[in-house]
Amino acid sequence: MTRRVVVFGATAIALAFLLLPVVAIFARVPPGRLFAQLGNGAVLDAIRVSAETSAAAQALVLALGTPAAVVLARRFPGRGLLVGLVELPLVLPPAVAGIGLFAAFGRFGLLHTAIPFTKLAVVFAVAFVSGPLYVRAAIAAFEGVDANVVAASRTLGAGPTRTFFRVVLPLARAGLAAGAALALARGLGEFGATIMFAGSLRGVTETLPLAVYSEFNVDFDTALAISALLVALSAALLLALRWRPSLSTSRFRFATSS
Amino acid sequence: MLLTILAAASLTNVFPAIDRHERYSFGGSNALAAQIRQGAPADVFASADTALPRQLYRAHLVEKPVVFTHNALTLIVPRSNPAHIHRVADLRRGGVKLVVAAPGVPVGDYTRTVLRRMRQSGVLRNVVSEESDVRDVLAKVALGEADAGFVYRTDARTVRAKVRMLALPRSAQPRVSYAVAVVRGSSHAAAARRWVHRLLGKAAQAKLRTAGFLPRR
Repeated sequence: MTRRVVVFGATAIALAFLLLPVVAIFARVPPGRLFAQLGNGAVLDAIRVSAETSAAAQALVLALGTPAAVVLARRFPGRGLLVGLVELPLVLPPAVAGIGLFAAFGRFGLLHTAIPFTKLAVVFAVAFVSGPLYVRAAIAAFEGVDANVVAASRTLGAGPTRTFFRVVLPLARAGLAAGAALALARGLGEFGATIMFAGSLRGVTETLPLAVYSEFNVDFDTALAISALLVALSAALLLALRWRPSLSTSRFRFATSS
Repeated sequence: MLLTILAAASLTNVFPAIDRHERYSFGGSNALAAQIRQGAPADVFASADTALPRQLYRAHLVEKPVVFTHNALTLIVPRSNPAHIHRVADLRRGGVKLVVAAPGVPVGDYTRTVLRRMRQSGVLRNVVSEESDVRDVLAKVALGEADAGFVYRTDARTVRAKVRMLALPRSAQPRVSYAVAVVRGSSHAAAARRWVHRLLGKAAQAKLRTAGFLPRR
């Protein structure tokens, strides 16, 4: 009995702790005023910058991360180390990511590029922190594809390319979509690496999270409104992930059972 | 007992030199003021302007502010001067990467005043980033990633090996005054008042002058 109370109590506290700040964002300002704040020019600019840079970063992550995940899903010597290195940006402090991007792509970095302070710099910062989330999920998705099904496809005469697009990709789809959604959500929230490597300039590099930060110093209500928008976007991404049956692999269940 | 002192980023080096025992939080003065408005448990607020402490004073969030030092602005470029900037007018050239502080940050507002007085506001077209405090501007120029930036002279002096100062005409210099105030509701109000009093005293003022700050007038 007491054990039950303790468990329920701990659960209630954990849920309240995680939910309260999110709920409070909406509770503090009436929804009507939240919407009004979103019409503010700086907010509209930030929405545009976030949409552009997140779309570009996501395209980059999917286009390069998918083949990388296919390779990393195979067994080969040194694979563990390589996967670990790919996942490293996930646990790096964002400020370290910012310094690393400068050291690599800065004017005086290894590659001497003119990327810092441009929109491309935002794309780089976002892709650097969101990419590993996608690659990690994609590796797991490809690993989960039954090797027998792939072998069957090859035996029946399909070439490797055809097998990949007609068999492997559809089977891995749910996992890939989950990884893509998580990466997108994480990328939309990118802050530390962006503000260091790309700076912050309205209409160019000031993304939604950067706008929250700069508005906090100017107008708390606007900062709240942008935060509410980001919460809604992230929640929508997560919920879409859970409630889209078409993304589930269930219709392949019979095919994969051996 | 330690005092918690929220201070303008430009005071990052000099405050610990005056008194290394307290707990400091340095940042853009406007960000610090926002923290006080959100109820940050601080004892003293030292701002790079007089407007922010005055606003907080009117909102009954701090006690009466007092000016404790002054400063001046300078244009800085990396030692290597990659964009060949030698005067403010050179900042107009296409492709120059200029970094300034955001409007609302004291040094950001002073920068815009300087440019307006020099009739050079057009150079703001070349701004690639608006930073949240003066040390962020300084870092990006010292790193060589930005071609130029506007900071206080005292900031430029802390990285003399990395940046070159280009003096601004005296007529363009805004009046940069720093005000300090005891935060209302401080649990160490008496100690905080003593600390402010000491900041106005001879020893602290000498330290400020050594760091390049200008004497109280």
